[in-house]
Formats: sequence, C-alpha cells, structure tokens
Amino acid sequence: VPSRQAFPLPSLPRKQPTVLVVCGPAQNGAIGLVCARHLRIFDYEPTIFYPKRSPDPLYRDFTTQCEKMDIPFLSYLPTEVQLINDAYNAVVDAVLGAEAEAGEGREPCAAILATLKHVRIPIVSLDVPSGWDVEAGSSGGISPDVLVSLSAPKQCARRFLGRQHFVAGRFLPYDVQKKFELNPPEYPGTECVVALRAPR
Amino acid sequence: RGSELPLTLQSRGPARFRGPQGCHPPSLPRQEEAQAIDQELFTEYKFSVDQLMELAGLSCATAIAKAYPPSSFTSQPAVLVVCGPGNNGGDGLVCARHLKMFGYEPAVYYPKRPNKPLFEGLTTQCQKMDIPFLPEFPAEAALIDELYGLVVDAIFGFSFKGAVREPFGSILNTLEHITVPIASIDIPSGWDVEKGKVDGLQPDMLISLTAPKKAAMHFAGRYHFLGGRFVPAALQKKYALNLPPYPETDCVLQLT
Repeated sequence: VPSRQAFPLPSLPRKQPTVLVVCGPAQNGAIGLVCARHLRIFDYEPTIFYPKRSPDPLYRDFTTQCEKMDIPFLSYLPTEVQLINDAYNAVVDAVLGAEAEAGEGREPCAAILATLKHVRIPIVSLDVPSGWDVEAGSSGGISPDVLVSLSAPKQCARRFLGRQHFVAGRFLPYDVQKKFELNPPEYPGTECVVALRAPR
Repeated sequence: RGSELPLTLQSRGPARFRGPQGCHPPSLPRQEEAQAIDQELFTEYKFSVDQLMELAGLSCATAIAKAYPPSSFTSQPAVLVVCGPGNNGGDGLVCARHLKMFGYEPAVYYPKRPNKPLFEGLTTQCQKMDIPFLPEFPAEAALIDELYGLVVDAIFGFSFKGAVREPFGSILNTLEHITVPIASIDIPSGWDVEKGKVDGLQPDMLISLTAPKKAAMHFAGRYHFLGGRFVPAALQKKYALNLPPYPETDCVLQLT
C-alpha cells in the first residue's frame, strides 16, 4: 500500500507500471515477496530478484504464490545500472531488515547494494534501508526515496532524508504499544499505513 | 440505539450487479465452484488458510467501517460478533480484531470452538486485545437491540449444508427478531448457499468474499460489498468470475 500511495499508477514515468522488487534471504525478503504479490493485485508489473531463497516453508509458499501469479523472477541483477533505470519505475528494497548484522558484507547482498547505490530511479526501503546500521544509520549507503517502517520506526530512521516516511504498524495491540512506549500516530480511517513527516 | 442510516442510500430490493462494462455481470459461483476456487488457492497457489482468512476478515471490518462508521452509532459503537464453528467463524474473529483497531467495541460470542491452532491463535489475539467473549448468548432480541448497534453474522459460510445444529438454531431465531442491522459474512447464515431462504435472516449488509455466490441474488439489504482481494487474475479468468475492478488499493468494493 505505501508503494502505491507514494507512486500512484497514473504518475509513473514509464508506460508500463514496472517495479523491481529485490528480496534478501531472510524475513525482509519474504515481506518483499508479499509486497510484490499485492502490487500485482493492484495492477503494477512487479519483477522479483531473489537470489538466495530461504528454506523456510512459509517463505517458499510466498515464492510459489508469486510464481503462480506470473510475476517474473530475474536470474541475475544487471550491474549496468542504466538497464535498471530504463526498465523500471521504482525499486523496492527488501534486502536486509532490522535483523541483519554482518549480512551486508556477505554475497550476494554486497553486490546488490553496490548496484542499488547507483540507481537513479526511486527506491522504497522496507523497514531499514538495506546496509544501514539499524541504529546509527549509514554514510555512503543507499539513499531511499521512501521508507516504510514496519511496526515502528527504527533508530536509523532519524537519518532518513528521503521524500516520504510511512509507518505500517496498525496491527500492534495497544498493550504492546504501551509497553514499548511507541506512541504511534493516528491511522486515518481504515488505512493500514500512516505518513510521517519526512525529517529534513 | 442502532446506527443512523445515511439518507442517500435506500434499499433497492434484490441486488443487481453491474460488471465492468455494464453488460457482463459477475458470474455467481455455485457451492461446488466456490469450494473448487478455495481448493485451488490452497493446493496450487499455496496460500495458507491464515493468509486468506486475515485478508477476508480485514475486508469485512473495512466494509463495516465504510457503511456503519463509529460516528453513526447513537451511543457507543458496540458490535456483537457471532462466530460459528468453522472458517466463517474464523473470519469473524479476524473481523472483530480489526473492528477494535478501527475504534469499535466488539464483543464476541463463540460457543463452538475448533481444537485447532489457527482458531486458538485468533481467539488469543482477540482476548489479548480486551475483546470480551460472552459466556452466553443474549436471551432476547430486545436485549441485543439495547446493547449493540450492529451484529456481525459469522456463523455459517459457503460450505454450509443441511440442518442447522444447536445452539445456532436458537441463535438464528433470536437474530431474526432484532431490529439493529446485521452484516453477514459471505452467506447469510442459515440460507441455502444457492437458493437463499425466504423466511430466514434478512441482513442489512452482505460481504461476499472472493466472489458473490448464487445466494446473493436473493439479498435484499442495503449494502453489498465484495471483499477478499486476493484472487489472482488467472483464477478469475478460469472461473469466468468477471469481477468489477476494486478501487485503487482498497480491499473492498461496494457493489450496491
């Protein structure tokens, strides 16, 4: 949903509403698979790059759901960044989330992030811009245009300088919110995401 | 008591569907077709029951919020959610949880609970969110009218066949006499899934999941919503569902 709100279909520059969804090997990547499926339902044309597939049965089912919905899976990510800029309107970064530690140093993530650092089309990062330290943020890492914080913003979100910051955490029960002093903003109507003001 | 009805919407009698071009109405699956679609989602597409139930329950809560916003209730936005013994009941539990998130005060009556982790988990989620589970069903229709502004009927769904077993027979009898609106999930409970039931429950709202079933032709309430926005295009084509397009990223579509 946040991808759709940030980039409504009619506003996309390319004729086809193409979106590249780059999925890492763990939970963040699995969330990317679910996101890709919903983008498809919303009439976008997602393509997935999922080089290191999780053996988790739940995540394998997510993969099957995407395949059966005719969402193509790339066999490699072009290192020629212009190819990505030309083919897609935006990239969803679902490579590494808050759980990643040395993940960004290992292949294939390191190569992916090196490429993504140079794309000119907008990047939508899920939870944590991949490669950023979850608390300190990053210098010289990827610069997403949109950040979707899951449950609640992480510390590194303070360093986010992109256009739009959404929180997707409406499923959190009140006592969990209170216990962790999350103080989430009000979600409008029945929306599952709320836009926070992007810090400047 | 009860919700104030928006003045612009009136009952137009039995629902008429308009397909995308206005001349190809959605095809209304029969019971076996509806079951076949579900089966294909689970076995071919590898969706889990949890996934689809969550999306279905969220659709129901969203549709209810659109038709009966909390501000439309005369006092507290209290909703009674009556959950049956199967998947329709599970949809109701998910719906109750989202209604709570949306600012309603749901209470659940769930007399026959399956011994399965899915339903136990959904029950725990509701309980941990302080949604009360009633120890008994309100004895009289008048009491329901007094305490609640809306009843969600999550008793029986599209797999329902044959006779209604207790305690649901008595429950349906009581519900047939309440004056506050009823929102039925997928099939008005007690109706034949294809033919309806002339002297049965008359809900004000129907939320058809995946696609409207044949019984929906007999629905005479004010609000008919489509929910369950997860059917892949290929499956829609295979069963010639001809579903009209959902608006933007909404998970529900108002049909009438």
